[in-house]
Amino acid sequence: MHYTNANKQRGKTQLIRLFSFLMLILLWAAPAPASLLAADAIPETPVVLNDSGASIYKEKCANCHGSDGQGVDAEYDEPLFGDRSIKALTRLIRRTMPEDEPENCVGEEAHQVAEYIFHEFYSIKARMKKGLNPRIELSRLTVPQYRNAVADLIGHFTPPAGKLSGKKKSDDKTASSDSIEAGLQARYFQSKGMSKANKLHLERNDRYIDFDFGEGSPTEAITADQFSITWDGSLKAEETGYYEFRIHTQNGIRLYLNSENTGKRGKLRDDSSLAGQAALIDGWVSSGKMRKHSARVFLLGGHRYPLRLEFFKYKEKTASIKMEWKRPHGAWSVFDHHFSSTAPASRTFVVETPFPADDRSLGYERGNAISQEWHSATTHAALASAVEIINRLPLLAGYRKDTTETKDLLKDFVIRFATLAFRRPLTRDEDQMYRESLFSKAANPEAAVRWAVLLILKSPSFLYTNLPATEDTPNDFVIAAKLSFALWDSIPDQTLINAARNGKLTTSEQITSQAHRMMNNPRTRTKLQRFFNHWLELEERDLAKDKDMFPEYDETTISDLRYSLNLFLEQTVWSEESDYRQLLLADHLLLNESLLDLYHPDDENSEHPKSKPESDAPPIADFEPVVFSPERRAGVLTHPYLLSAFAYHNNSSPIHRGVFLTRNIMGRGLRPPPKAVAFKNEEFAPDFTMREKITKLTRDTTCMACHSFINPLGFALENFDAVGRWRTRDNNKPVNSLSEYITESGDTLEVQSARDIADFAVSNESAHKAFVTQMFHHLVMQSPYAYGPYSVDQLRKKFAENNFNIQSLVSDIAVLATGHRQTELTLSESKP
Amino acid sequence: MTLSHYNRRDFLRELGIGAAALPFLAGLPSLRAANSSNTAALSRKRLVIMFSPNGTLPKELWPNQFGADIPLEIKSILRPLDPYREQMLLLKGVNNKIRGDGDGHMRGMSCLLTATELNPGNIQGGSDTPAGWASGLSIDQQIRNFFQSRKETRTRFGSLEFGVAVPNRADPWTRMCYAGDDKPIAPLDNPGQMFQKLYGGAQDRESIAGILDYVREDLRRATRKLSSEDRALLEEHMQLVRKLEQDIEAARNQNELTHPEPEVDPDIELVNDNTPAISRMQIDLLVNALANDMTRVASLQYMRSVGQARMRWLDVQEGHHSLSHEPDKNLKAYEKLKRINLWFAGELAYLVKRLADTPEPGRVGGNMLDHTQIIWVNELGKGNSHTLSNIPFVLIGGGAGFKTNRALDFKGVPHNRLWLSLAHAMGDEKLQSFGTEKFSVDGPLDLS
Repeated sequence: MHYTNANKQRGKTQLIRLFSFLMLILLWAAPAPASLLAADAIPETPVVLNDSGASIYKEKCANCHGSDGQGVDAEYDEPLFGDRSIKALTRLIRRTMPEDEPENCVGEEAHQVAEYIFHEFYSIKARMKKGLNPRIELSRLTVPQYRNAVADLIGHFTPPAGKLSGKKKSDDKTASSDSIEAGLQARYFQSKGMSKANKLHLERNDRYIDFDFGEGSPTEAITADQFSITWDGSLKAEETGYYEFRIHTQNGIRLYLNSENTGKRGKLRDDSSLAGQAALIDGWVSSGKMRKHSARVFLLGGHRYPLRLEFFKYKEKTASIKMEWKRPHGAWSVFDHHFSSTAPASRTFVVETPFPADDRSLGYERGNAISQEWHSATTHAALASAVEIINRLPLLAGYRKDTTETKDLLKDFVIRFATLAFRRPLTRDEDQMYRESLFSKAANPEAAVRWAVLLILKSPSFLYTNLPATEDTPNDFVIAAKLSFALWDSIPDQTLINAARNGKLTTSEQITSQAHRMMNNPRTRTKLQRFFNHWLELEERDLAKDKDMFPEYDETTISDLRYSLNLFLEQTVWSEESDYRQLLLADHLLLNESLLDLYHPDDENSEHPKSKPESDAPPIADFEPVVFSPERRAGVLTHPYLLSAFAYHNNSSPIHRGVFLTRNIMGRGLRPPPKAVAFKNEEFAPDFTMREKITKLTRDTTCMACHSFINPLGFALENFDAVGRWRTRDNNKPVNSLSEYITESGDTLEVQSARDIADFAVSNESAHKAFVTQMFHHLVMQSPYAYGPYSVDQLRKKFAENNFNIQSLVSDIAVLATGHRQTELTLSESKP
Repeated sequence: MTLSHYNRRDFLRELGIGAAALPFLAGLPSLRAANSSNTAALSRKRLVIMFSPNGTLPKELWPNQFGADIPLEIKSILRPLDPYREQMLLLKGVNNKIRGDGDGHMRGMSCLLTATELNPGNIQGGSDTPAGWASGLSIDQQIRNFFQSRKETRTRFGSLEFGVAVPNRADPWTRMCYAGDDKPIAPLDNPGQMFQKLYGGAQDRESIAGILDYVREDLRRATRKLSSEDRALLEEHMQLVRKLEQDIEAARNQNELTHPEPEVDPDIELVNDNTPAISRMQIDLLVNALANDMTRVASLQYMRSVGQARMRWLDVQEGHHSLSHEPDKNLKAYEKLKRINLWFAGELAYLVKRLADTPEPGRVGGNMLDHTQIIWVNELGKGNSHTLSNIPFVLIGGGAGFKTNRALDFKGVPHNRLWLSLAHAMGDEKLQSFGTEKFSVDGPLDLS
């Protein structure tokens, strides 16, 4: 991989956009330590700027940065602004500017020019005065928001899942069907000819769908010639995307996924048992040989989908069934209890229409632009939604199929649908149109509903998240929508709507208490999971490694590692402490048996890591915490998934790791490399270590402007190979991971391990603010500075006061983003 | 993702699932009705296979005399088809000789068009061993694949499988079309869904066109209160709406059908008593799809083998299959079965008439029946004997160019040979064998 390309590419997808100033970059996302906060430096009296600052700037800086710091195309095109103090700016200029000869602007000159730019355009205050501060931009629904909103909109009308049927005996106190467990609820039947579920003999919870009965039967009570099994429950989809399924069996099967869960079920027979519902896979008729049935389905993350699998054997010699699946970013694996539950679920409508990707030029997804592809996608999605609604109309609008007079019911349905979609009461004109005009114009009430759905889903009131409110919209509705988009990427639920309708979203306490309630919802979890995917750059990573060097590191390992990382994040974030610091400091990894083989803590203490550790510990059944030596492993920084993601296919990559740590963990901005330098392994002496190669590669002064702090961070992780295993030697030489790292405030820090970096970051305000800012971007999809010049400082302060509780931070951000005036006041009291 | 990639994938997906299958906006010339002036249109051949279940009443169907030079005699069941006598060919003595797993009905149904054995399986019939799906493709799919392999005969769908009152279950009694070994094709028995598959794009286009005025008004209202920076976004949005409007208009002109789509009640309930109405809708859709050259191969499956349709519209209360088991001397049952078979013949006559009344595109004076081969089939020869011999093969129309207005008795040849003749007549002359090889060795039947 080429260094330049890697960085260019990263530049596009970075969480932090690179606003560079004088080699180092200072921006909202790359804040300075607190002692240097701009706010501290704002003088109370107007400043008389001396002319020399202006003339120095014009002479030495404006060529690249523009007359007013706005940037110059092809030179330095990012505007100059941030929250460094004059003192910090001065130091920076003295050390690094102008780029080609830093000694050309030092001493008093540096101070004068720093003072000049600070008051002219750099500081928040200057920007506010000049109207340059970011504003809240009109935004459309992002793609995830669109999909979630449509799913929840229709889901709102879907009756809750009925209890799974099955003859519940009132005297059976041990009936497992009442308790919700991981896995699927299995029922084993003796069949008798056409009556496949003739007699229930065994009821239990199956955690894996992988059975080989050979020529026998599942249980002694059942004869081997004919029997059937049903598995019921729901599937948990964590990510949005295509899920693939394949079922291996020589017998008969049907798989229903995301069917209407009416609670009603026909008899298990050769004709379908979920009357009127299409099976995702219908392999009921066998052909006397082993067969593989496959299907692919697009699911929306954060939802549970009803699942039913039916199996039967009839006079075939043998019986077996194995259901495998492949999740987005996953490898083929047996469908198991990590993603299934005996809890019932209702059908969720998923918009499958492909949408063009949302803009990420600022490092976070936002709905700032529209295009013809987007417009056409919204049209197709609206059509697909209309089909879904019309097909399920009696259920959604709540009437029996044989109802003859449906017009009034449907008018009511349309009004409720529009109100939910627009997140506000309808105006009088809208009410008139949806209730009267459409129905009188359409050939029949169903046609009117179809039109209404299309119109509602194509309306700007649905498609844009922050249009100015209509005159008669109570502010509570505006706040409800802002909360739900920030926390859920979706429309408000019934509780929020009720609160808005009853004027219960008026005070800061009311809003905060709703935000707290909303935290405990799968939608919030999904949204935060996506945040971590952004923050840790987990998306679209190629983790494949050299097969000869790392034979055990296959697709399954990668998939397990990703699961392990996500589980760690989830456990940390959703624990009571929800401590950001634990993300970086934790001394354990969550490993399953096969990961433990690869990443055994005993290996790390041994000089011969290849040898199998001798351990008395019983094998672990599942992903469990495995404690490592704290000097070696530190939270996500040393999670093998990240270490392998930021590595070459055959060795570590200190640059990838260093850049990631610099930007995402330390919160320090980086500009794109000044010149293209490719990493070509063959150009180095064969006995070089990776550290020696990188040191040589980046020794040029222009490189070292950034690599002076990228490399030390990357080198600190040199004890981890390309797959994140501990090593003490690289290329037959001892690994040296010790370097001196110059902090942003100019202090020198010795770093030798991930723990050194983590310890520094958890107590460093720049790092905190980077985390806060990135979280804000992800939740609100706007610049935090559009919500007040001190919003990041305020949020960070509260974050620290709350012992870095991530859940509190998230809810504080959501509350702040409601723009509620009182909230702003409350927060500004804690202004730094 | 590039736009063209998106469009293509989206389009293919739509073809697959049938929703909005007619391209919503852009006309795709290669998949639209072939220009009536080109040569392919002149030699157009089509195939329609119609199925009705549970055997026939031999005495009400077979003429007294068979022979190449004897004009066809029309017996009672075939009376609705009398006007088309000269384009009819009746074949007796063509037997389904496929044996192996499965009961007579299963093999009758699933081996009828495939002419090959069923796989061993787990579906137990009324007798014999359990069985699975057929082990080969059906003749309609053979011809479909042949048509699709050549540019001049390729159509948008290749084949369409219509159903009428087919129960919602998939087993060897309900499937006669197979894409290959173990690959049954489900007939679509919902006219609303079929309409959506054929004309969905046009329908969606009109729906969207109907709301664009309102969308524009909404946008105008929303724009008023915006700052100038934000207004630019909605103005761009407004332009996209205008563009969509223009595109719809253009697509309307571009995609104009040779034959406008028939009116179909999309909400008709798929219940037994609506069967006559559903039947006519499906036939209308079928004829239209042929007329618009969306396909040249179609099948029309009524119910299923062992079907128990209660044809109350014929004043028959009993299930069809139970009736078919009654001995010939049960005159009441006999009379009802006659009524039932007459009804099927009447539906066939409607199909024939629709084709005969529709001018052949690009042929002055010709009609579509002249270029369409219809074959009415049954899974049994006779209901109460469950025989797979003497299956009534009723051929109508000029698609295959067989010599008509006669009845032939082949005295017990395997039906594989009939399908071989059909394939050759439709142009697939290189086909050496169809279905079980040993039944094909004597080559195609001579029907010219």
